[in-house]
Amino acid sequence: MSEAPLWRQAFDAVEHRVTPHADRLTRTPGFARGVTLLRRTQLLARDTVQGATARAWHLVNLPAGSDVARLRAQLGALDREVRRLNLQLETERRRAGAAGTETDDAHAADATDGARPGPPRRRAQRPPRA
Amino acid sequence: MLDRVRRDVERNALRARNGIKLVAGVDRPGVGCTAKDVVWQRGRSQLWHYRNDLDAHGGVRHSPPLLIVFSMVSRSYILDLQPGNSFVEQLLTAGFDVYMLDWGEPDERDAQNRLEDYVDDYIPAAVDRVLEISGCGEVNLFGYCFGGDLALLYAAHHPDAPLRSLSVLATPVDFRHMGPLADIFRVGGLEVDQVVDVDGNVPPRVVLQGFKSLTPTAEVTRYVTLWERLWSDEYVNAYQAMTGWSDDHVPFPGAAARETVDMLVRANGMLTDRLAIAGDRVHLSDVRVPFLTVLAERDHIVPPDATAPLIDLVGSPDRHELRLPAGHMGLVVGRTAARTTVPTIISFLERRSDEVSPAPSVRPAAAEA
Repeated sequence: MSEAPLWRQAFDAVEHRVTPHADRLTRTPGFARGVTLLRRTQLLARDTVQGATARAWHLVNLPAGSDVARLRAQLGALDREVRRLNLQLETERRRAGAAGTETDDAHAADATDGARPGPPRRRAQRPPRA
Repeated sequence: MLDRVRRDVERNALRARNGIKLVAGVDRPGVGCTAKDVVWQRGRSQLWHYRNDLDAHGGVRHSPPLLIVFSMVSRSYILDLQPGNSFVEQLLTAGFDVYMLDWGEPDERDAQNRLEDYVDDYIPAAVDRVLEISGCGEVNLFGYCFGGDLALLYAAHHPDAPLRSLSVLATPVDFRHMGPLADIFRVGGLEVDQVVDVDGNVPPRVVLQGFKSLTPTAEVTRYVTLWERLWSDEYVNAYQAMTGWSDDHVPFPGAAARETVDMLVRANGMLTDRLAIAGDRVHLSDVRVPFLTVLAERDHIVPPDATAPLIDLVGSPDRHELRLPAGHMGLVVGRTAARTTVPTIISFLERRSDEVSPAPSVRPAAAEA
C-alpha cells in the first residue's frame, strides 16, 4: 500500500490535534447554552418581523402566515384523530374477526368434547402502576 | 519517477471526471433496490414486505417472520443500501421472511403524532398485518436506532404482544451520553417549540446540524478524503451512497419530539424507569421475550455509554449483548456488518426460529390504503 501524500499527512497531523478539542468544545455546557441563546435570538428577530407583517395583513383583513400555520396545525390534529380512530377500528375488527373464528372453533369443539371457548387472544392492557 | 507522474496525471483525469459526476449529480448509485411490496399503509407510514424468491434468495426457510421497525429521523434505505452491501439482502439470503415498517416523510398532518401513535397504533397494526400475511402466530421484532426505542416501548407496553424475540441495534437508553444533540435540550434549556418549523415538525436541517455537531471536524475530513480518493470509482460510489444517506434526514413529528425530549432526554426515562405511554406507566423490565442488543464501540451518534445499560434494564431471562468494533453505520453496512453483525443477528434469530421447508414469501394482492 502506498504512503499517503505529504499534504494528506500534514492535514492528518493538524486534524488529530484539532479534533479532540473541537469534540470536547461541543460537549461543554457553554456550547449548549450558546446554541440555545443563538436560537432564541434568531426566534426573537423572526417573531418580531412576523408579528409586524401579520399586523399589516390583518389591517387589510387578510390572513397572515401565522394564521395559515395555525389552520394547518388544526387540520393536522384532525387528520391524526381520524387516522388513529381508523387504526383502532381496524384493530377492533381484526380482533372481533379472530374472536369470531375462535368462538366458531370453540362451538365446534363444544359439540364434540364440551371444551369452553378461550379468552380473546392477545394484548390485554395492563392497569397503570402507581 | 516517470511512473509516479503518469499515475498522478491519470488520477487527476479520473478526479475531474468523477468530480463532474458528483457535482452534476449524475450516475448516482441505486439504493434500496431489493424487491419489495407495500403491504400496508396509513398516513405516511408503510409496511414493506421484501420478496424472498426461491431463485434469488433461496426462499423463506425460517419462521416466524422478521419485522424491522426503523428510526424516525433517517431514511430506511441504509438497511438496504446497495446490492451486495445490504442488511436486508443478507437476512433474505439467510432464509428470513423480512418486513420493514418505514415511517415515510412526516408533514404537518403528523405534527401532533405522539409516541403512543407509534407504540400503540402503528406497530401493533403492522404486527397484525404481518401475522395476517404470513399466517404465523408470532414475529421476531427488530428495532434500529430510535426504532429500537419504539420497539422496546411497544414490547414493554404490550407484554402479551405476539413476539418470539426482540433485537435492537444501536438503541440509546441513557440520553446523558448522547452528546450535543441531547445537551442543547437537557443542559442548554432549548425547547422543542423553538426548533419546530411552520409545519409543526422538527425540520431535517436541525436534525442534520445536530448530528454534525457530534463530530464537528468530520465534514472537513470527509471532503479532504474525497479529494484524495476521487479518482476511485468504487470509493466515489460508496461515498455517494453513504453521504447521501447521512445527509438525508426526515422531519421529526413535533409532539413526538416534545415527548422524547421531556421523557427520554430530560427525565432520562429509560434509565430511571419513568416512562409513560398514553398515560400508562411503562417498565422495560416487562420486556420478557428473548432479547438481543447490539452496540457499536466506535459509534459517535449513539455512543456505547448510551446503549450499554440496556441489557440490565429489560426483564428477559434470555438476553444477550453484542459489542462490535464498528461505527453507527458500520453495524449495518460494509465489511464489519457482513462479517460480524449480520451473521450474529442471524444466528440469534435462527436459534429462536423454526425451520420450514423453502418456499417463496407470500405476496399479498395489494396494500390497504
